[in-house]
Order: sequence, then C-alpha cells, then structure tokens
Amino acid sequence: MAVSTIYSTQALNSTHFLTSSSSSKQVFFYRRHQPQTNRSFNTTITCAAQQTVVIGLAADSGCGKSTFMRRLTSVFGGAAEPPKGGNPDSNTLISDMTTVICLDDYHSLDRTGRKEKGVTALDPRANDFDLMYEQVKALKSGIAVEKPIYNHVTGLLDAPELIQPPKILVIEGLHPMFDERVRDLLDFSIYLDISNEVKFAWKIQRDMAERGHSLESIKASIEARKPDFDAFIDPQKQYADAVIEVLPTQLIPDDNEGKVLRVRLIMKEGVQYFSPVYLFDEGSTISWIPCGRKLTCSYPGIKFNYSPDSYFDHEVSVVEMDGQFDRLDELIYVESHLSNLSTKFYGEVTQQMLKHADFPGSNNGTGLFQTIVGLKIRDLYEQLIANKATAPAETAKA
Amino acid sequence: MTTVAATGLNVATPRAFVRPAARLSAPVRLNYPWKFSSMKRMVKLSVKATPEGEISEKVEKSIQEAKETCADDPVSGECVAAWDEVEELSAAASHARDKKKAGGSDPLEEYCSDNPETDECRTYDN
Repeated sequence: MAVSTIYSTQALNSTHFLTSSSSSKQVFFYRRHQPQTNRSFNTTITCAAQQTVVIGLAADSGCGKSTFMRRLTSVFGGAAEPPKGGNPDSNTLISDMTTVICLDDYHSLDRTGRKEKGVTALDPRANDFDLMYEQVKALKSGIAVEKPIYNHVTGLLDAPELIQPPKILVIEGLHPMFDERVRDLLDFSIYLDISNEVKFAWKIQRDMAERGHSLESIKASIEARKPDFDAFIDPQKQYADAVIEVLPTQLIPDDNEGKVLRVRLIMKEGVQYFSPVYLFDEGSTISWIPCGRKLTCSYPGIKFNYSPDSYFDHEVSVVEMDGQFDRLDELIYVESHLSNLSTKFYGEVTQQMLKHADFPGSNNGTGLFQTIVGLKIRDLYEQLIANKATAPAETAKA
Repeated sequence: MTTVAATGLNVATPRAFVRPAARLSAPVRLNYPWKFSSMKRMVKLSVKATPEGEISEKVEKSIQEAKETCADDPVSGECVAAWDEVEELSAAASHARDKKKAGGSDPLEEYCSDNPETDECRTYDN
C-alpha cells in the first residue's frame, strides 16, 4: 500500500506544507549525501499527519462493552464491522471514523498456556503490555501495525492482521488503563463499573440459555474470578475520566430482579476538552423527579440526581438516573433539562437512543449515559482536531 | 506487490493456475474421486459442525472440566483459570448467538436501519 510521490530536493528547501488526499499521510525524506561543512544544521521535520485520538474503555466481560461500542460508532455515523476479507474471528471493528481494538488480542498466553500456569485472562501476566504500548503508540502517530488476533472460539493466537491508523482509535478490554505508558497515550478513558448484584443478573440472562450452565455454575464462575478482578481490573477506575456505575434500583424496595437500574455517570473535573454534563446549575446539588403534571410516568418512575463529589481524591460531578423510560416524550423531556450535552441539535440524544431501541439498556440510564459519553467523545475529538489544525506543519530543510 | 500478511494471500494480479484447455480434461480423471479415497472423504464431511453448536459444546465441556478441577482444590490457580475459561466461552457463545440473530434478518432492512437517507431506503408516505 505504498503510494510514493518523489519530490525533488528543491521543493524541500523552503518551508513547505505537504498535503495529500490519502487518509494515511506518510512522508519519506531522501537526502543526498552532502560533504561535511563546519556549520551545524537544525533539521526539524514536523508532519501534518493525521492525529489519531485514542479512547480507552475498560470493563469486565459481559458488561455491555459491545453495546457501548455500537452506540459510540453510531454517534460518529456508519456501522462498525469486522475487517473485510480477513480472519472471520477477528475482534476488530472498523467504521469510517473509528477502529475498535479488543485488548484480548494482546494476550501473551493463549487458553492452554493460561490453564497450564493457572492464571486467568485478568492477570497482567497473561498480557503483553509492551506490545500493546508499542502498537497503540504507533497507531497514534499514524503508522499502520500488524496486530495479533486472539481467537475467542479456539483460544489460540492467530496470525496478525494489518490495522491502518484511524481518526479515532478505541481500545476496549480488561486492561486499557493498567499500564502507565498506555494510560498516558489515552485522550479519554471510560470505566464501566457494574455492581455485583447487577453483574450476576446480567450473566444469568446471558448464560441461562446455554446448555450446561446452571445458577451454581454462573455463581461459581463469578466468585472464582472475583479476586483477580478486584486486584487488577477494579483499581483502573481511579484513572478513568468517566465512570458509568450500574447499581440496583432504590425505587423498588427489596428488588432483586435487576430490571430497573440506578446508573451513575461520574465525570472527572478538569479534564481537557471534556465539560461534564449537569442538571440545573454546575456545582450545585439537585434531586429531580420529572414525573408530575407535565409528564406522567408508570411505576416505578424516574428520579434524577446531580451533585459534585469526590471520587478517589478527584473532584467529580455525578449525574444519576434511577428508573426507566417508557415513552419517547419522557426521553425528550429529560434531555431538554440536561445541560452541556454537546449535542449538535435539540433532540440528538433522543434520536440516538431511538435509533438503537433494540439495544439492551435503551430504556434506562445505561443507554442514556453511554449515548451522552459518545457525544462527549465526539466533542472532544472535534476540539482536538481544531486545535491541531491551527498549528501549521513546517518542514525546514537545513 | 503488496501482500496481506494477515491471511498470507497474495492479492496481486491473480495468476490463473489452470488454463481453460486443461479444465476439459480434468473431469475425465476426477470423475469418481471418492473411489480413490472413500474413507477420507467421509470422515471429512462428518467433522464439519455449525460454529454455534461447536461453541455450545465447548461451553458445556469447560463447565464440566471446571467442576472437576475445583473439586480437588477450590482455591488453586487451575480452578480459577478453569472458571475463567468458562466465562470466556460463554461470552463467545453469546456473541455468536447475537451475530446469528442479526445476520438472519433481511439485509436490506439492516442496511436501511443504519442509512435511512440513501436512495434505496427512502419511504414516501404521501
């Protein structure tokens, strides 16, 4: 895939802004050998190559990451699909603007290797963080990489696939924020924190249709993974810029069905290009029940909460929604009262939620906050690109 | 020429291995291939199972294995790794199920739900 245009050295003598219509910009410099002179030259080469925005998404398996991914890519437009013509078991999703990489591809031990050593996939010993860092760094700088593929069906590491640097790179998996170097590369990071009761309910929903699974086996599976999860995955939430916390509802006393959820969107203050969503007024504390005269809701209704808070020694703002949406006008009413949503037009959040009404969580806070985070990421991306565009590229040949 | 390293396929100008003239003679020789390797062919056909059935079987097997491993020592690394494998396979199974459900629907409907403004998907109500 090398399309090379050879410029003569004269063209490179002065400051020259190299533009190209191709999506991946690579500039090659070929310099003829020149006799040594006494003068010292400063050669600075700055490329106006496409800057990739890197987003990290952390969550345990079975926690709605793929739903989140579909909502996120939909905000940018287009559907994300696995790379065409490649390995059918590839975990990568590619759309026009985004590429989603599953961090399971950086497992250093395959399934048999992990069984032999007695380590889970959650353990950092089973993952190659050096390779992860190298490749994310390369993609961020606009260099294509050969990324390994971890086949979830066979449990083996397949032959690598070529990944082109996209405009937005999303790395999703168990350890996006575990390694410090990778963490520094992320422009925005999200953690999906599902409470134990809700996790249990969701896994039952997912696995009870499978032959061989029973309530005990699902429970045993969660219990066995818990120590590793608490030790390695959970601590990542302190580094996240946004945490979506899913808890059982407080509106129904003694509810253990897990259908109605209480979802909290915890947003870190002071993150560049990210302005938290708020209700009524920033920094104030407010509790709001939209159901009343203007809006009639069915049981158990909807309850909102907004307040500033402290989370792992960081200043945060928390928007919380308890209950579920039954009708379209509830959604639009709520949207009209939330501020700083980064929507491009009135009703965009509602439109996105309706577009994917069949996705799980479309009637409660999980879908709502995932959509809002998607819009925030779009806003962050646009601000970053606008910033980079104002700094012109210069190529100065000494 | 570029090579797609992932699959090892050469996507350069396709080379025609078999010339048309040669094809006419091929059927004469390969008319009854099963006569030469009958047992092999039969074995080959029976191994091919649906991917979804495969994963479900794997899930079942892994649960049994995990129960056995944990019966000896519930706190060991092997037990934990076994249950982790169960979790991984269950996740893969549920993804396969979702893919199958999504793939089974009408492709035009699918396309139109993502791109309602394209010419093929415009609806005229009046």
